[in-house]
Amino acid sequence: MMGTEFRNLAVPVRDGESELFTVQMGPQHPATHGVLKLNLWMDGETVVRCDPDAGYLHRGFEKIAENKTYAQFLPLTDRLDYISAMANNVGYCVAVEALLRIEVPLRAQYIRTMVAEMARITGHLLWLATHALDIGAMTVFLYCFRERGLLLDLFEELSGARLTTTYTRIGGVRQDVTARAMEKLARFVEEFPSRIAEYETLIDTNRIWLKRTKGIGCVSAEQAVQLGFTGPSLRASGVDYDVRKHRPYCAYDKVQFEVPIGVNGDVYDRYRCRMEELRQSALIIRQCLEQLPPGAIVADNAPDLVMPLARPRQPMAGSSLATGYIELVPNNDVYPEGDVYVSIEGSKGELGFYFVSDGGGRPYRMHIRSPSYIHIGGLATVCEGVLVADVIAIIGSLDVVLGECDR
Amino acid sequence: MALVVHMLILVGVVLLHVAYATYFERKVIGHMQVRMGPTRVGPLGLLQPIADGIKLFFKEDVIPGCADRTLFYAAPIICLVAAMANLAVLPFASGLVLAKINIGLLFVFAMSSLASYGVVLAGWASNSKFSFLGGLRSMSQVISYEIALGLSLVGVMMMAGSLDLSEIVAAQQQSRFGIYAIPQFLGFFVFVVAMLAETNRAPFDLPEAESELVAGYFTEYSGIRFSLFFMAEYIGMLVMASIATICFLGGWSGPFAVPHVPFFWFAAKIYGIMFFYFWLRATLPRYRYDQLMSLGWKVLIPLALLNIVVTGFVKTIF
Amino acid sequence: MLIQPRPKRSLLETVLLFEILQGMALTLKRLFSKPVTRQYPDEKRQPFLGFRGKHALVRDPQTGESSCVACLRCATVCPSQCIYIRYHEEEGSGRRVVDRYDIEALRCIYCGYCAEVCPVNAIVLTESYEYSAYDRQTNYFDRGRLLNNWDAFVKESGHDPVAYVNPFWRPRGVDEATLAGPRRRKVPEEWTRAGQPVGRLCRSQDSEVLAEGVQR
Repeated sequence: MMGTEFRNLAVPVRDGESELFTVQMGPQHPATHGVLKLNLWMDGETVVRCDPDAGYLHRGFEKIAENKTYAQFLPLTDRLDYISAMANNVGYCVAVEALLRIEVPLRAQYIRTMVAEMARITGHLLWLATHALDIGAMTVFLYCFRERGLLLDLFEELSGARLTTTYTRIGGVRQDVTARAMEKLARFVEEFPSRIAEYETLIDTNRIWLKRTKGIGCVSAEQAVQLGFTGPSLRASGVDYDVRKHRPYCAYDKVQFEVPIGVNGDVYDRYRCRMEELRQSALIIRQCLEQLPPGAIVADNAPDLVMPLARPRQPMAGSSLATGYIELVPNNDVYPEGDVYVSIEGSKGELGFYFVSDGGGRPYRMHIRSPSYIHIGGLATVCEGVLVADVIAIIGSLDVVLGECDR
Repeated sequence: MALVVHMLILVGVVLLHVAYATYFERKVIGHMQVRMGPTRVGPLGLLQPIADGIKLFFKEDVIPGCADRTLFYAAPIICLVAAMANLAVLPFASGLVLAKINIGLLFVFAMSSLASYGVVLAGWASNSKFSFLGGLRSMSQVISYEIALGLSLVGVMMMAGSLDLSEIVAAQQQSRFGIYAIPQFLGFFVFVVAMLAETNRAPFDLPEAESELVAGYFTEYSGIRFSLFFMAEYIGMLVMASIATICFLGGWSGPFAVPHVPFFWFAAKIYGIMFFYFWLRATLPRYRYDQLMSLGWKVLIPLALLNIVVTGFVKTIF
Repeated sequence: MLIQPRPKRSLLETVLLFEILQGMALTLKRLFSKPVTRQYPDEKRQPFLGFRGKHALVRDPQTGESSCVACLRCATVCPSQCIYIRYHEEEGSGRRVVDRYDIEALRCIYCGYCAEVCPVNAIVLTESYEYSAYDRQTNYFDRGRLLNNWDAFVKESGHDPVAYVNPFWRPRGVDEATLAGPRRRKVPEEWTRAGQPVGRLCRSQDSEVLAEGVQR
């Protein structure tokens, strides 16, 4: 053989049931949405066992939070689910306000609702784009990005950045909306349903799409609850649970919307649920635009960005603090002690923040309940016995973002 | 001597065509996706294929450590040779054919089956699991769709009474509708679907399904070897479009004769079919492997058989 | 709300590939629509006011120097701790004099907190976004570079350096009274409360409930 080293080629020879073909799908793979890695044990093209391997994007956010003030951690929430950063901002601030007992003015509540729904639309659009691309319908990808671009422009106009928005502040929002941005948003909301119809023309009734999605990756209602699914992935299985309805935050109790519920819990139902959510989000934004009350955008008792620490910081050698350290007011009454868990409905599912406060200026412990992490955990169950092409469809339909999963 | 010159001209024209078919594809799909396609290299991006060619030619040729080198080298060449050999028998206009043989259609089938050896060997020799799966998929896909493809053309053979491609065109011109696509609409439909699968194009591009198998059988190929596969794929598309033109759309005949350009209608029809290829790619999702198989065996082959039976009946009665 | 099942495809639609033809009609229609592409280096996008880009220290028109008072609020609040300040106190007056003011732009996460907490509007994240470089040194901004960044920004954007107000200095819709003295700058009309759009329902008569909510 021309002097080449032709070592044993991994060929899937069926030797009883013992020899399975293993494939490490990811962390560099076009369809695993970032750095997800799946260890697949396959019998031919059928997946016998699927073992998700998370952690390639771990940045230690929960540990970082222990060394940052509440305000300082806010920009880091942009990097959780970077597809819909606004929703993370809102969720984080709602949680911190619950801990610090701050009442947010109504106008800020409405603005938050509005931007959270805009974030949901951007998140779902990106989901649809990549999900369709995974199944091979690549034109949908670009049509979705066209509309997503419009919303990102609006984010920039509101907050100064397209992706890492850092728009909310503890006790309100950073700045008021402008007339021009709201006109643009109103126009967008007006036009958006026709755009959804456009995406649906390409895939919704397409026989290939139906074949690839119907009856694939079925999750029953019990199973979905057991696996801890939330968001559209749970609702597609027929469980009526939506944080916006059941534990309303911001102004969700003041707007009217419906929560789409699926029947079969397969890839197609998850797809349909998200498409209906896009329409509902547009409706919520329209109501927010109509109802937006006048008033302050920041609470009176909102803390300053430079949050005082209960215990003074020790200046480190070489840092700017070494030469001149300014005295921050040490005040143990500023921060209540105790713990708080607050969750919101992010575009992927229930996004929760858990704080343990020891009365200092920083959380003693902080935990982020990220839906993507739990959905990736569920992949092991859902992907059992499906074909390798279906694994791709299932990953897409569960809508995982690795920035949020690994955090 | 004249034969060599003819061959060189043919190969030159076809390679240029391949280069600009990629440009055409990127432009068409780009505009369908509300973007622009290549614009930066040369006016309207017209030099893009040339730049791509130069890039691929000078790129490092990486060979995986555990690959079977002999087969790894041979695979792309088999693919390209098999695709190019088809060009010899295609009549581009009346009398404009390199080798007029009386079993032209069979020759094309033989060669396009041979091309799948290249694909399978590439998948095997790369010693990569994704390539291997791609190669296996391609093998079974080609076997299944070869049958449907062949059966769909039996109707044409029956109507024309010949396997010679030039004679099929000539017989078509004398038929009632001028093209066989109308009386043989069922055969034409089966042919178009099988043609897409045979050339591994969307929505049947499973062997190279990028979202599942990275790039399928040529995952491990780079540089010039990658471009050989690429050329083979596009020449395959051209050959299949030519067969569709010759057997169903009336070959080089058109509503009126264009002076000095005998192959005008032939080229126009081929480009129409190429556009159709790209159009489908921009529109449709991808089938799953087992669905593709069941479509081939349970729908296309029965339809093609039905077409043969009906054609036979009609031919006996009239 | 249960999602409504789509009507089943009829036999005719199946045979005629109806939904596939619909999709193809859409892509064909889009073939002739205008592309949304922006040809980047040729057509540059104008960022919105308040875009968080390249850092700059505002050059005070009167003194020609930075107006930084070395309060260290920016260095304190910075989540990635990329601002380094050294200062000494002037003999007698006790006024702080900045010796060094460095920003390591490669560590910055562009949250804009520094501009937001600055009591004298000395630092700003400008709208300039093209400053990639081949080495790390280029994006390590010391005080001179930061001042030059401001000059370059004023020149490029055509803003009046005296009248320029960044939304991070003076948030839209925040009352004048809540801001420190040096931060009160005259702002465009749409930034004030009067210029803000208010919901249609609020302006109409039947919005007493909402209005009450505001008062509460």
